[in-house]
Amino acid sequence: MEQNGYQKQVREIYRFISDHLYYNRPDMEVKGDHFNSAILLSLLTALNRGKELIIGEPGLGKTTSAEFVCTLVNQFPLGVIWGSEVSGHPEQTEEKIIGRPDLGKLNRGEEDVVWTNFSQIPVKIVDEINRLPETKQSMILDGVDRGNWEYLNEMIINDEYCLFATANYHDGGTNTIIAPLVDRFDVMVESRYPGANLAFLVGKKRRKDEILRHLRYEKELYRVLKSKIAYEKKMTRMEEVCNAFGEHLHEALGVKPLQRQDRNKIRAEMEILGLDLDASAFTRMFLAECSFCDRYGQKRVVENCEDGCHYTGYLCHEIKNCASNRLPTSMTQYAQALAWFLGDSAVDIEHMKAVTPYAVSHRIQWRDDTLSQKERSQRDDPFPIFLAKEAVKAVSQRYREQSDYIKDALAIGAKIFQGESLEPLDGDHPLYREIKKDVQVRRN
Amino acid sequence: MKGTPQTKARAPRLSERRGPAIQNPFQEFQSYSFFTKNIPLDRIVQSAEGVMDQIRMGYEKLLEEEAKELVWMVQYNTIIKAYEVAERYVREIDYSAEDIEDFCFALENTQKIPYLIPGPAGLYISALCNYAKEEEIVLKLSELKTEINLLGFRLTKGKRLLIEGDGGDFTGIGLEGGDLVVEGNAKNWTGAGMRSGKILVKKNIGLHTGEWMMGGEIHVGGRVRGLGNIVEGKVFEREKMVFPGKVRHPNMYY
Repeated sequence: MEQNGYQKQVREIYRFISDHLYYNRPDMEVKGDHFNSAILLSLLTALNRGKELIIGEPGLGKTTSAEFVCTLVNQFPLGVIWGSEVSGHPEQTEEKIIGRPDLGKLNRGEEDVVWTNFSQIPVKIVDEINRLPETKQSMILDGVDRGNWEYLNEMIINDEYCLFATANYHDGGTNTIIAPLVDRFDVMVESRYPGANLAFLVGKKRRKDEILRHLRYEKELYRVLKSKIAYEKKMTRMEEVCNAFGEHLHEALGVKPLQRQDRNKIRAEMEILGLDLDASAFTRMFLAECSFCDRYGQKRVVENCEDGCHYTGYLCHEIKNCASNRLPTSMTQYAQALAWFLGDSAVDIEHMKAVTPYAVSHRIQWRDDTLSQKERSQRDDPFPIFLAKEAVKAVSQRYREQSDYIKDALAIGAKIFQGESLEPLDGDHPLYREIKKDVQVRRN
Repeated sequence: MKGTPQTKARAPRLSERRGPAIQNPFQEFQSYSFFTKNIPLDRIVQSAEGVMDQIRMGYEKLLEEEAKELVWMVQYNTIIKAYEVAERYVREIDYSAEDIEDFCFALENTQKIPYLIPGPAGLYISALCNYAKEEEIVLKLSELKTEINLLGFRLTKGKRLLIEGDGGDFTGIGLEGGDLVVEGNAKNWTGAGMRSGKILVKKNIGLHTGEWMMGGEIHVGGRVRGLGNIVEGKVFEREKMVFPGKVRHPNMYY
């Protein structure tokens, strides 16, 4: 499906990062190709205008991986990205994250906002987001979700933005990331330890990030960001500087970053990729298991699943909360992005299975007995991602056993909606019950 | 206005609404060709359900015609008439011995058969047994809470009916050469008016046993509470012939 050669360009960026900047092992296999999940998902996040939560032990490249991707995809010099990052700490304030009053104008009795670099630039990195107290996490909810930043009744809206947040594992200085904020992240990925040998290489190669810096362009961009012109004009001016920086990178490093129109075209190509029937049916099956409750109508975190329920063998029995509507959006977008990246003409079940664990791991609250059963299992992934991968495997196995019947049930549902007098198919899986409920609505 | 009858406005059906149609969440599966798989078990189940429906309908028609307001009197004429009605319906159904057993189970265990009236039910089952293709029929009645009367009515020669459980009143009356076995007890009027054949009751039997019996044999493994006015035939109590034999007075103590 290679159109306009953008896949090739993006793969070059991936290769450059993995060969020169972020050393790590491939830990993700999709259709025979092996990738490092941190680089791949960060790349897809940047292309897709997504939001990614990167977890890991201190010093394992959580922030630097995001910085490298943002530089090469959005053409921002590293120095500007550093200057725009927000760090999570208990003393963080709205003025440091979003904007502050223009003190000069305030003295004259006028209200005007000096926006922070973080709120203005399209690449946003929040470092150690879980060090923000929970009350302060609520401050950035709307901005994280929609790119809307409001201060003193003024607002800027980011047309294009991607967000990376890093979080260390829980220690004495961290807080829980509040559930509404966690749900807004599309994917969660771990930046892992690369192994002793690659870590040694990392130690040998110092200051490799210098190749992604350029003092002149950084100064120019800071000047634009500080200027008092309208936000839309700023963005146009910034783009010009970023394009120039991108040309410099291409000449100096041989890797061609993406300009804004390239990113727009890539997104358009991704969006037109459709899901094949297996991908669609599998996704519906997974969502049904994450939300269904025979006894209470749907999963709710305040309602316990009783033992002896007929659906004990399904995911709904192992989880406490209901899947949000952001989950299918994240799954579909990232599956489309992955399919585009691999040059496939449609999203199939392999793409969906590859991205689903990362899209769902931070959104599921597992029951305590499920956690205690599995916490000592041997694994390479952190526990939440491991559990999500196991869940996807189990649902995938169930799908393989009854894929034809499920597709029949969905096809019959389509026919009933068209007015044909057919009976919906019976089956044990929650999805059949969901189909019946939807069909009943149509009949009523 | 209060007191004025008004026609309640009917909510417009989906096809009549002018607003946007409900989103079809299965749209992408519109063109998927599905095949309704029909496995042999499905066909067997469908077939069995069809036969059961026919048997059930026959019983309901019998009740409609013969059990007015669910009252049914055991009298010679009503028995004959009801049996003829049952025969009429049973003859039109293609069933097997298992279906008769399923019907007996369904009498008490499904909502589809609302009334179990022991007399008509027994006659209907007797008709089913007499017109079944099989020579031997087993009725598992030990789980039933209600005893069914008139089982084995006019059981014909060459037929063997085994009742697992107890029989009600009038078991085996009018036997016509058949072989009737009751694994449990039988109540009163057992074998009344039988012409030929054999009845074996493995446990106890009630009063009026063999009343107006014209031939055949009744064997009882337990106690006979009382014999009826027997014309001809034999009655055995624990392998000892009690008719023809000494006159017995009915035992009123048990």
